[in-house]
Amino acid sequence: MPLLGALVHLLWLAALACLALITPHAEGAAIGAGLLAVGSWFWHLGLATTLRGACQPETFLLPAFRRRLAAFGLADAVTWVGLPALLALAIGVPHAALGGTLLLLAAAMGFAMGVERWISLLFWPLLVLAGWMPGLASAVVHNAIESPLTLPLLLLVAVLLLRLSLHPMLQITDRPPDTSPLEGLSVGRGATTDAAPRRSALGRRLEGWFDTIAQRALEQALTRYRQQPTAARRRTLVRRLLLPHDNALAILLRMAIMAVFATLYVVVALHRRPFHASVVGAYAVLIALARFPQIGRGMQRMRPNLADLYLTLAPTTRTQYQQTLADALLVLVPTGTASALAYTVLGIVLTHATQPWLMLLVTLIVATGGGLVALAVHLIGPQNAVGRQWVNAAVLMGTMAMYWAGVGLVDALGYVFGGGLLALVVLGFGLGVWFAAQLEYRRREPCFDAPLT
Amino acid sequence: MATLLPFPVQPAAPVSEPAPVLRVQGLRKAFEGRQVLCGVDWTVPAGRVIGLLGRNGAGKTTLLRCLLGLAPVDAGSIELFGAPMTEPGGERLHRVGFVPQGFDLFPWMKVRAYLDFTAAFYAHWNHALAARLLDEWQLDPKQKIGRLSQGQRQKLAIVRAIAPEPDLLVLDEPVASLDPQARRAFMGELLALMGAPDKTVIFSTHITADLERADADIALLRDGRIRFVRPLAELKSRLCHAVLSRPAGWTTPPAMPGVLKARVAGASLHLLVEDVPTERLHQLAKDEEASLRIEMPTLEDLFVELA
Repeated sequence: MPLLGALVHLLWLAALACLALITPHAEGAAIGAGLLAVGSWFWHLGLATTLRGACQPETFLLPAFRRRLAAFGLADAVTWVGLPALLALAIGVPHAALGGTLLLLAAAMGFAMGVERWISLLFWPLLVLAGWMPGLASAVVHNAIESPLTLPLLLLVAVLLLRLSLHPMLQITDRPPDTSPLEGLSVGRGATTDAAPRRSALGRRLEGWFDTIAQRALEQALTRYRQQPTAARRRTLVRRLLLPHDNALAILLRMAIMAVFATLYVVVALHRRPFHASVVGAYAVLIALARFPQIGRGMQRMRPNLADLYLTLAPTTRTQYQQTLADALLVLVPTGTASALAYTVLGIVLTHATQPWLMLLVTLIVATGGGLVALAVHLIGPQNAVGRQWVNAAVLMGTMAMYWAGVGLVDALGYVFGGGLLALVVLGFGLGVWFAAQLEYRRREPCFDAPLT
Repeated sequence: MATLLPFPVQPAAPVSEPAPVLRVQGLRKAFEGRQVLCGVDWTVPAGRVIGLLGRNGAGKTTLLRCLLGLAPVDAGSIELFGAPMTEPGGERLHRVGFVPQGFDLFPWMKVRAYLDFTAAFYAHWNHALAARLLDEWQLDPKQKIGRLSQGQRQKLAIVRAIAPEPDLLVLDEPVASLDPQARRAFMGELLALMGAPDKTVIFSTHITADLERADADIALLRDGRIRFVRPLAELKSRLCHAVLSRPAGWTTPPAMPGVLKARVAGASLHLLVEDVPTERLHQLAKDEEASLRIEMPTLEDLFVELA
């Protein structure tokens, strides 16, 4: 947050400089407004995430908390909306009032999306629609600028958004019981318990489904293990505890939910030109890899709970215990690959891709290799949040580079030579990193101390 | 002003004792340079309830976690059931029941599922005992652990720890969140468990009345070391609290063998003494021209004076 704060306030300064220094040229105001809108959106998104964690029932007991929060909100509005709008009015920027209202809307949007993730679903279709039918979008914008109703309507939307986000945040509600730190549904996977986004009614219902499925899967695993306590069944049982939502039925349900959004996106994206069908595979791999950063965070948060598992498993050696955990988590790689393949198949069907086998082959190899690397680095990687983000960014970029290189390679050399070479490089690297990480993880002492942050 | 004399070394036991459940030698542990355990030497015999006492921050939790291999040690050796604790040692861990201070269970699991999951890994699990305790302690098996109150979670942690009927039960402040009824019920279960031969309990608590009820051996952890381990009955029979009062007050406490701690409070001098005959105390009072009051200290009094 401090880094974000510094960056967006630099943007704010740059935007005001644009407004003040190059406004005689029309693009000065446009650049300034654009910078302000982007900065404001990011800033308020981060602000909402921070405030969501701070607005706990205990916090409301602080003297004059709500009053101080309101005062801060006012100062923030003056900074991001009032001052730029006044400056624009003073130097005669056209449509300054409308611009100010749009800035307020950008701030409200960012804030609302930070508090209630589902609000982003309201805007996403609009953006997709604008990309699909740019002519219509342009005509709407042109007419809206001329309409006297636009300004009050935008103000109303901004106020509604603020009402939607502030009302639940300032209410005292029961905290939902924690889920496994290694898990997380599609909404707010990366959130900590305190800053966990509030669930909508639909989110709560989905969570209930996942929970029921998880309980059933655990019972089944228990029954099988009792019948015949093999090493594989023991591993499955541990997996059902650590990753309750990574059983077959829950994975299918997650894929189905994701498919709804993916279908909508692909259908709309198809109408944009140029559209490269192979991009579907890249998205699928990215979605599959999004599962892994939670492992690093979750394993850290789960340390105190794992003491009980340690005593329950009663390993002969510490190495054996660490190996049990690593084995349990390894299932995420085939799960991720299967998800990526499923999304790619969906994309292939929807886009009538001309090279479906190429996309599937490259997705299979890259999702597997990327998954192995991602699991490895998140298992033994940096413990601090910034380090983890850097590592994650490096893995994602590397995987994407491999994906596009793979598409080119298979396209140029054919399935056997191109695919073979890609598999050799990507899977070789992935397996190498995984085995090295596994060795390192086994070497480490189990830690059961709660993380300091 | 206060002084504290070391306890005299106990004479060696005349008869051979059974092999200890736990033997600790020279255990050291530091956190970021702060030494918490400074060479702990401790032997826990089988078949006893040991009350581990120490002030907040004395290192009780750290010691208990080190004993079970849940925290790495900097130096020293630990033997559990006669074998070094350098590795967990497989089934050996199933002979230990542990109720941690934070009872960090798995909040996303339901009570029944959690106990079933745990039981699946144990060769011996008293299902009837677990079911009875769930019922008596009003723990809903269908409830999610995350929905339980602190006290209920502590009860569940206790059920989980004693259901395998372990040979060694390690309890880190297990009754801190329990209501009086639950505490009594827990103590009842603990005493029943101790009815079986060679069952050992190490019990860290600040509720000294529970240790008195269990007739525990008292181990005092202070300044990173176990200062003494003694049966409570012996402590009570050998230690007494003498209060000498005189109008002129006290500048320095009089020197006398057997004084463990001396404390001046106004016109009174409080002495914690060991193995000092009453006659000698009366003689001291006479010599110092003071009135004498002799009190039998409770364990809490002893803890306050010695910890």
